Amino acid sequence: MTEYSKEVINDLVNGALPWPQTRRIMSAYKDDDRFFKYLAVLQDRVAWSDPILLPVGDRLFICDSAEGRLTRCECGYSFGDYRRNWKLKAVINVRDTEESLREIYPNSDIPDPKWMEIREFFCPECAHLHEVEAAAPGYPIVHDFEPDLEGFYRDWLGKPLKDLS
Amino acid sequence: MLDKTANPLQRRLLESERLMEETGCYDGITELRLRRQDPLKFETLHTKLRAYCVSAREMARRISASPGVREVGEMVVAIYTPEGDAIALSNGIMVHVHTMSRFIKWMIRNGYEQNPCIRDGDIFANNDAFIGTVQVPDVMDVVPIFHEGTLVGWAGAVCHELEAGGITPGGDVCLAQERFTEGLFVCAEKIGENDEIRRDYVIRCERNLRMPIYWVLDEKAKVAACIDMRESVKQLIDEVGLEYWQRLSKEFIEEGRRAQLARTRQLTVPGVYRGHTFYGHVTEGKPGFQPLADPNWLYNIPIEMEITSEGKIRLDFDGTQPWGYHSMNCTPAGMDGGMFVTLTQHMNFEGLVNDGAWMATEINIPHGTWTNPDNEMAATATSWALLLPAYGVFQRLLSRGFIARGFVEEAFVGQVNSPMIEMGGTSQYGTGFGMAHFECAAAGSGALAIKDGLDTAYVGWNPESDMGNIEIWEQNMPMVYIGRSIVPNSGGAGKYRGGCAFISTWLINKTDHLRLVTSEHSSRVFDNGGLCGGYPAPTCEKHHAVRNSDIHERAERREPLAHAPGTDPLLSDFERTYKGEQVWEEGPYITRPHKAGDIFSHAYNGGGGFGDVLERDPIKTARDVENGFLTREAAEKVFGIILKEDAEGCPQADIDATVARRAELRKKRLKQAVPVSEWIAREKRRVEASDFAPEVAKMYRSAMKLSPRFSREFKEFWGLASDFAIAGEN
Repeated sequence: MTEYSKEVINDLVNGALPWPQTRRIMSAYKDDDRFFKYLAVLQDRVAWSDPILLPVGDRLFICDSAEGRLTRCECGYSFGDYRRNWKLKAVINVRDTEESLREIYPNSDIPDPKWMEIREFFCPECAHLHEVEAAAPGYPIVHDFEPDLEGFYRDWLGKPLKDLS
Repeated sequence: MLDKTANPLQRRLLESERLMEETGCYDGITELRLRRQDPLKFETLHTKLRAYCVSAREMARRISASPGVREVGEMVVAIYTPEGDAIALSNGIMVHVHTMSRFIKWMIRNGYEQNPCIRDGDIFANNDAFIGTVQVPDVMDVVPIFHEGTLVGWAGAVCHELEAGGITPGGDVCLAQERFTEGLFVCAEKIGENDEIRRDYVIRCERNLRMPIYWVLDEKAKVAACIDMRESVKQLIDEVGLEYWQRLSKEFIEEGRRAQLARTRQLTVPGVYRGHTFYGHVTEGKPGFQPLADPNWLYNIPIEMEITSEGKIRLDFDGTQPWGYHSMNCTPAGMDGGMFVTLTQHMNFEGLVNDGAWMATEINIPHGTWTNPDNEMAATATSWALLLPAYGVFQRLLSRGFIARGFVEEAFVGQVNSPMIEMGGTSQYGTGFGMAHFECAAAGSGALAIKDGLDTAYVGWNPESDMGNIEIWEQNMPMVYIGRSIVPNSGGAGKYRGGCAFISTWLINKTDHLRLVTSEHSSRVFDNGGLCGGYPAPTCEKHHAVRNSDIHERAERREPLAHAPGTDPLLSDFERTYKGEQVWEEGPYITRPHKAGDIFSHAYNGGGGFGDVLERDPIKTARDVENGFLTREAAEKVFGIILKEDAEGCPQADIDATVARRAELRKKRLKQAVPVSEWIAREKRRVEASDFAPEVAKMYRSAMKLSPRFSREFKEFWGLASDFAIAGEN
């Protein structure tokens, strides 16, 4: 069975693994113990102790806490119950003018702000940019991912989560 | 009426489908008996079949006269069961492996066994997307494989033709608004017998195409590939026995189905994933478009993907737009093909993929939408315009699953449209010609979750992206290159930027009539996206051209030339440099013919970015600026990276200044941003007033009319009454 050390997974996740080694990992059979090593790497990265159950973005995690399962920013800010769209608890900046679009696209042609706007979803605490939506004005905010957390742990990992009830 | 009981192949197809329905396994193969009995033999034979395909394709490429096939590899070949399910395939444009499957099944369902009959040595061809292909230039040939009188399979080959004889030259017939202007159709036609292509078919091609040498020689290349595979399979059956072959080929497919389910369970997380993209279609004021509908259209493409606990992937396009009088519609075959080619790249890259992978997926393409028109007269000649953005979303949805599961090295922000140039008129040799330019096969890719995207090296439809050689392209068209360069900032910004695209500039040469047409070019909206905080790539670039330029006079005076439009979107280097009529054109480029002395440029697209821009490595960014992948202006304004110059004048990151600048930018973010709840409350008033551009309002009305779910979710999100409607009429 393919297996990598936690250090290798850490470097891989951080984009610090040399390309030839990364390339070999991409080409090889996948390592079946990746998920829990990955969680351990991410857990080391955060300053809080609530166990991470599932990453749902680059610096966004579902974790188990005394208040239940929450979506948390890496800085610790809670976006609330993981079943709700975390974006609704974020702060947003909408680029819907030529001037504001030009700030991100200084040397390119830009969309017509009457047809498309750029929505930036930030963490209210650390200002990390978690997601960008490019959408027509009036388009509902997307709930990107609703994982079947219970089913994943129970059926795919064979390690059921403890019953919250 | 045909007596269906007299069609044993048709009965077999129905039986195979019934068995799949009943057992959940391909053709009722509930056990991989041959694999269990002798796994080594099983794998060896599978690899052998794959080798037959790869070898046949390489041989065929050397017969072709088309630079699209010879240089760029716009071809794929495959071996099928008698019922038309792919067992093994070559590398190349794998999207067509499943579309060819549909073509074979269509013939079986339509009584071809009785008329025109399926005999040893027959050659059948098709480029009708409603039967089974993606677009009119994708012409496929299949030949039956008989072994001692028994039909044991099919060999098939597809080439993307550079000229299809449509209303505008080239293969992607941008101006086609109905089927009748798309070009030469071959509708599941028997074009040859006894291994020979019929002379009358060749004559039809010669008299209906602008450049028949491409199509006709490609036919010969495809037939040669099919015969080569056929003979190899027959030889294999001689070695292993007919009964063994018949079981083996089905076990390969069932194994492919199981492998796909297992791979999904291994690499992703079950649940529901959502995303969307948009495409702007603007034809107002462009010559040639018939007034069959509104000239401008905004397409929304929402996609919901469910990964079930079994590992099945379900894609749902509910909520997207209706088909229209343009060339960007897609058929179910094309939608299946898009799914297949994406899966082969992301989950089945070991080379043994077949139709089993496709069977582990489901797709909902609502009737009446561009994904499944309820009118078979709809044109599909440039269906990639919407297919590529759509399956770019699919790639992002899959990637979120890879990130959640920890396989970050597989996460990829997705493909983009890479607009094509089609051309025709009088060649540099004084003859009529028509051609599609395929350097677009080297766009920028989306970023990965661990590194920047590939620069000028990726497109979704051909995983072996190759732009071909300039010298070969120049031999085939009356234009010479005066520039080809990286487009700075063309990758979406992010911690890891999207791969950059390139721009080419040509001098029209030795012709007084060159028609240039481009397609798959979104107007007014980006048709891609970023992931996890990355920005979309700027994919609505305009065309720049100069008519009656003074380039020859400048060259004679030995004055500097402009080789690209440059990085000022408001004033191009062409305008600064050349005298002549300056042209800016958004969306598809359809204008009056060009002539010698004109200058034309065309930019391709980069991919979306990944992660927060303020986390981008300053040292890597300095290198990007030095090498022209980013401008200094973008480095500072977008990425917050301050650059100074080293002793040799090269950009160097000022780390301290960068840290300070980024701290300022983070403060600015929080100062500018508002709570989402506040924004929703404000925006709701705009929605209630239907305060939108006409095209946006039309998009909402169309989506709501076609999709009760879209309508319900839209109203629920904004807290609107159930009888709310966007003002206006479609």
